[in-house]
Amino acid sequence: MADEGVASHYQVLEELGRGSFGVVYKAIEKATGETVAIKHIDLESSEDDIQEIQQEISVLSTCASSFVTKYKASFLRGHKLWIVMEYLGGGSCLDLLKPGVFNEVHIAIICRELLFGLEYLHTEGKIHRDIKAANVLLSESGKVKLADFGVAAQLTYMKSQRNTFVGTPFWMAPEVIQQAGYDFKADIWSLGITAIELALGEPPHANTHPMKVLFQIPKNPPPRLEGKFSKEFKDFVSQCLVKDADHRPTARELLKHRFVRSAGKVEALQELIQRKQMADAKADRVKLPVFYQETLHNISPKDDSDEWVFDTVKSTVLKRGTVRSRKPSPTFSLEDGMRKLDVKDGPLQPTTPGTVRRSTVRHQPSAAHHQQQGSVRRVSNGSPRASIAPKRPLQPDMSFGNSGSTMRLFRRVPSDSSTTGQLGAGATPADPKSNENRPPPAFHTTPVEATSKESSLGRRLYNRVLEPSLDELHAQTAGSTKREALAKLCDAFAILDSVDPEGAYHLLRNVVSAVSQDGKLSAALLQSSGGNSAPSKTPLDGTPQGTVVVKSRAAAALVSPTKLIMSHDNPHLLSHRRRGSAAPDVSLAPARSPEKERDREKMAMEAKYPGRPAVPGMEHCKALSDLLYARWTDGLRHRWGGAVAGA
Amino acid sequence: MSFLFGRARARTNTTELPKQAREHILKLDGPGGAAKADELAKTLSQIKQMLQGTHGLGTESDASPEQVLQLVTSILDEDLLYLLAANLYRLPFESRKDTQVIFSYVFRFRPPTASPGSDPMALVYVVEKRPQVLVELCKGYNYKESATPAGTVLREVLKNKDAAAVILYDDGDEEGSSQGGVAEIDEERSQTGNGVFWMFFEWIDKSSFEVAADAFTTFRELLTKHKELVPKYLTWNFDLFFTKYNTILVQSNSYVTKRQSIKLLGEVLLDRSNYNVMTEYVDRGEHLKICMNLLRDERKMVQYEGFHVFKVFVANPHKSVPVQKILLMNREKLLQFLSHFLEDRTDDEQFIDEREFLIKQIKTMPSTPMPPQR
Repeated sequence: MADEGVASHYQVLEELGRGSFGVVYKAIEKATGETVAIKHIDLESSEDDIQEIQQEISVLSTCASSFVTKYKASFLRGHKLWIVMEYLGGGSCLDLLKPGVFNEVHIAIICRELLFGLEYLHTEGKIHRDIKAANVLLSESGKVKLADFGVAAQLTYMKSQRNTFVGTPFWMAPEVIQQAGYDFKADIWSLGITAIELALGEPPHANTHPMKVLFQIPKNPPPRLEGKFSKEFKDFVSQCLVKDADHRPTARELLKHRFVRSAGKVEALQELIQRKQMADAKADRVKLPVFYQETLHNISPKDDSDEWVFDTVKSTVLKRGTVRSRKPSPTFSLEDGMRKLDVKDGPLQPTTPGTVRRSTVRHQPSAAHHQQQGSVRRVSNGSPRASIAPKRPLQPDMSFGNSGSTMRLFRRVPSDSSTTGQLGAGATPADPKSNENRPPPAFHTTPVEATSKESSLGRRLYNRVLEPSLDELHAQTAGSTKREALAKLCDAFAILDSVDPEGAYHLLRNVVSAVSQDGKLSAALLQSSGGNSAPSKTPLDGTPQGTVVVKSRAAAALVSPTKLIMSHDNPHLLSHRRRGSAAPDVSLAPARSPEKERDREKMAMEAKYPGRPAVPGMEHCKALSDLLYARWTDGLRHRWGGAVAGA
Repeated sequence: MSFLFGRARARTNTTELPKQAREHILKLDGPGGAAKADELAKTLSQIKQMLQGTHGLGTESDASPEQVLQLVTSILDEDLLYLLAANLYRLPFESRKDTQVIFSYVFRFRPPTASPGSDPMALVYVVEKRPQVLVELCKGYNYKESATPAGTVLREVLKNKDAAAVILYDDGDEEGSSQGGVAEIDEERSQTGNGVFWMFFEWIDKSSFEVAADAFTTFRELLTKHKELVPKYLTWNFDLFFTKYNTILVQSNSYVTKRQSIKLLGEVLLDRSNYNVMTEYVDRGEHLKICMNLLRDERKMVQYEGFHVFKVFVANPHKSVPVQKILLMNREKLLQFLSHFLEDRTDDEQFIDEREFLIKQIKTMPSTPMPPQR
């Protein structure tokens, strides 16, 4: 593919946000001077077929509507795919909601424009499948456009229905959740939810765990818009939210609804944009643009002695295979792996955009990196963030309601090969875009090198255990005071880790041994003390915060919502497996026989799932997790055959 | 009254529209080509609507199956499919999409009288009488504009074995080429490498991302769909195919091409129906060399995909002498290398198992190469 030079046609500026599986930058097309948005997708961090990314491009590129973000081009640069789209300076509706909810006048305009967009898509045989405020972008002049086609589908002649389980839980139509086959009407439901979101600031059930929502939506009567809203608005929402898709109106029919028929001009939406700008100015947010920095580069020259020996002196083939110079690949230790990765993916330096990555070795993923990844996922793709909020660990927008961003949460699992060393296995699965151009570290102190065994363990402990578990806990915590407290704790650990990883190790070791000496505590925490890692190994992927994609291999309609969990490649099962198999890895206990590992793994799972309702916000999930657990152990039994069955 | 009028108009349209479309296409180059393009766009849109009926969201009255039959017959009579395929790249944006829909419907259409399992009539006609339509569709990859619509049509059509054969065995005027129709194909003849199938290598390697990725998807379909067609084809064209494959695709400078083609190579080799192709492939020392270098690529996913080809060489119980030599020459290095290979892939159990298996295999190889016994 002969694209390599095309990137030079663009001057890439600051980061706008992070979307389904890439970072979005503002850029200028040099030839025309036009401002564009460019999404960078790191293909190395994507395990699955590049074909799926192609799908997004093909859906976008066959759209020509002023209600849909315009696709301009796409090309490869090394292992990154750049997708060039039109730039929309107003930001996403989710961003614009931050200063406060919208009034009905604005909502009516947005709904009408969205209906135009949906009418267009549906006539074209396309389903967006992820309509929500985060995916609705505004131009500076107030034009409303649908964005993020990361999970959109094109219906062909044969399949006028889909069975793929896709979307973001809160916005999902019942028929999508039930995987009973659905069509473009699913978008209408999501539109109704989005209308509520614009009016109330969050979708219905926003404080419920996303997994539970998946049960509630098909089971409960449709959500209604309550409160002091006009009759028309309420009726519009209730028409969108008809549970039976056959009785739900089409986009064209809804355009005749009084609520949107009397809506005003899009220019009125500029008020929302101004309001956001004012709010940002008032809040005195530090505008710290994150500048783009090339992260593809050559590493050290190849060490020839490390080459394979073939009978010929050196085959021509061999030369051709390695155009770029590189460092010898085998990584002999975790540290080496990190070293290599760090050099390769040198962090962006916000303060000195021009500087090149450090040549010194940093094998500590700066705490701030990591947390940033956790916290930015609400930013919709392509939606310019009006300000880059100061990098704090666990930014408080991670609440269930609004945090769902378009991610192919389960399908687009990054290859740990490129990220785990740095990020810790626990965090990666939920964080598909994590190793794409990292946001800058907030801590500018160069972290201490982990030289001793203890300190490297401490570092590992932090990266793999503490940080992910704090992150997770934070994501599941609703109260803002609680969240803040957690964020502080996380900050503190981050600092400790950067200056004294050995201290972190000793701290945790002492905690573990103290716990084991206290009868009651050790009973309560027994299993988790088996490697004080068990809870921490729960990566975020257990809970679908973002857009979910599940391909149902068996197209058979799964009618009951519980059955959905049993779908063969259910992400939750997969994630549990992943988690399970990784568990021994993080345990600090040195000697382990395979049986012990299994036992511990089982114990850890038992501790975590059926028996452990403790995580705030997770209590209601007990029934569900029991089910999940049963499925998971079945899976284990199947895989380990006699060994487990006999046990 | 208006009902009758509508019927009558529909009847003339079924024969008139394809004729009009043909004339517009032929005049695209002449003076007033732009105006013709507009008229063509309208005509194509009408044809599409007639074919589509109420499958889409259109609420216009449906054409009867007989009328659709007439329309399809007329499209074939006017050779409209060929003209559309050959000119796809220069049709207006919406017309390209309409053309894609028209192809889809025409290639699926069965007359009301036909038995449900039979091949659609237009498809039969094309593979027997007008294979150039399929060749021209492939050539849609020459242009960014036509790549996606042509590719979409191709992938639907390629589900049909005869259609796939037409593309694989297109070889210009050569004896046994598919040019004269699927019946003329001589499967037991090596290809010259000038046929349309061989152009895919260039499209995949040289085109922009959108075109290359679409071409690759079609290429993969061609090589994986038809188990009774491809093994024979690869056997007869072994050297030509794998030389091109290894030099152009596996060692492409494009990350996507490289990674996808290594993956596809693994899929092709491990397909049961390609058993003979696989054994021949893993006998060659030079193939192993290419593969071992992939393991040392600086990109982890390339290493990973390379591993899945490498394992076939090592797991082969009847390793050829050249393959044994290379493995033995590098035994210590390989053992060392593999023990740390993609170490952070801790949750990929299958991979870990396979890696262990390979280490064991290499360890237990006899230290002098022995001729394989089969």
